[in-house]
Amino acid sequence: MKFTSIGIPALDEHLGGGILKGSTVLVIGTPGSGTEFFAKQFASAGQEAVTYFTSTERDEDILNVMREYGWRTDLKIVNVGTRYYESVLAKKLEISRFRQEGVTLGDIRKFRDEDSMKEANFLTFLSYEISKLDPPFRVVINSLDFFLENYESSEVLMAMRTIKSHTQHSESVTLMTMLKGVHESKIQSSVEDLADVILELDREKAGHEFKKYIMVEKVRNKPAMVGIIPCVYDKTGIKPAP
Amino acid sequence: MPQKSGERERCVTGIEGLDTILYGGIPRANTILLTGSCGTGKTSLALEFLIHGAMKNENSLFVSVTENSEKLLTNIIPYRFFDKGLIKSGRLVFVDLPIMYERLGMTKPELSMEEIDLLVAAIGSLAKELGAKRLVVDSITSVCYKLKTSEKIRDFILNLGKVLSDQNCTSVLVGEVPATSTAYSSFGVEEALPDGIILMANMERRGDLLRTLQVIKMRGTMHSRAKYVLDLTPMGVLLVPLLKGGSTG
Repeated sequence: MKFTSIGIPALDEHLGGGILKGSTVLVIGTPGSGTEFFAKQFASAGQEAVTYFTSTERDEDILNVMREYGWRTDLKIVNVGTRYYESVLAKKLEISRFRQEGVTLGDIRKFRDEDSMKEANFLTFLSYEISKLDPPFRVVINSLDFFLENYESSEVLMAMRTIKSHTQHSESVTLMTMLKGVHESKIQSSVEDLADVILELDREKAGHEFKKYIMVEKVRNKPAMVGIIPCVYDKTGIKPAP
Repeated sequence: MPQKSGERERCVTGIEGLDTILYGGIPRANTILLTGSCGTGKTSLALEFLIHGAMKNENSLFVSVTENSEKLLTNIIPYRFFDKGLIKSGRLVFVDLPIMYERLGMTKPELSMEEIDLLVAAIGSLAKELGAKRLVVDSITSVCYKLKTSEKIRDFILNLGKVLSDQNCTSVLVGEVPATSTAYSSFGVEEALPDGIILMANMERRGDLLRTLQVIKMRGTMHSRAKYVLDLTPMGVLLVPLLKGGSTG
């Protein structure tokens, strides 16, 4: 089996059996287009052990969605967002206290051997966590926007390349989500360039409702497979319209 | 040192030759600039000033900017009079300024005016907490790299001097100048602000590299302006007058 599921059986079929093992998938869309939802459906599929990195959701929110749709809940959630805001907020609070009250000798000595005051680099953390995973793994990174907002884009791209090649060599799969139209086009193009498969979730107003589409924008080495697939959301998740 | 009427109380440096040059010591609560190029003995002299203070039960604070203070301590000259117990008892305290920068969230390369005030206040409150009567900042030039503009440097040194002086703390700011420089400071503004300037230099004489010391200015006291030859020994700094054309050195 050289394929693994993208999370939507009919889409797997459209892709000729699924996505190739070793693929990095990018899903993009405007806010509200369903990229986060798709990320969970992606996490529900395949045989690999799932690690879900999130920067925007609470663990509970993710699990609730998974339960609601009857998807697997045995995924490992790594909440980068919580860690980030806890450490940044804690540090900011501490700084304001020191600025207000001054730094005592005790404060200076206190953390001497620890680097607890040092702001963790979450980009490094992400790469490191992924490097530790036993292959084959299924990784979701929701979302790249968090990293692009907080780190230099060149650093983010370098980390993504590392993750991509690790995914490739270990015959695993990685999905990254990214908002459309918020980053510089050069950055967006670079991210799109390293993805093996790009899906864009789109919608169009038709009368009183939205028509929804999955646009398959890129399948590496298979240009014939790109196309626009109308889709619907039901109790099984997202799927091509009948 | 008996205090003559109308004369300022002295902070006896404990460095014999220097106290003689200064007619008894640095006027207490003065802020002085100890400046010179590398290898001229600035840090050793500043440290000795603090050790002598601590030995006289004056709490002394060394604010290290350039070098990690633990590393500094391992490289310290094995002074015969230096008792490590002074550090244990808290008479002599070493603090790394980069840690204070971090605690205060001053990790950017350049500090704002507000941050400079905060930094001065923080150093002042630390000196107060410790009841420091002597303080060394080694080096002020390294702090200046984070201040960048003359206005900020001026603001920092003036305010720091004032805060420490108000606590009756005698302070030595160590300044670094390039070996070829004839100025007393790297940024040109630091030298105009303190109450005193002691210049240390290297001087080549008959194939020997001598260390020299010269008090350029010292408010609140008379002083010699002659150049002295300085020797770093385990007994401490030794100063002898530089004899023009004599056989010294």
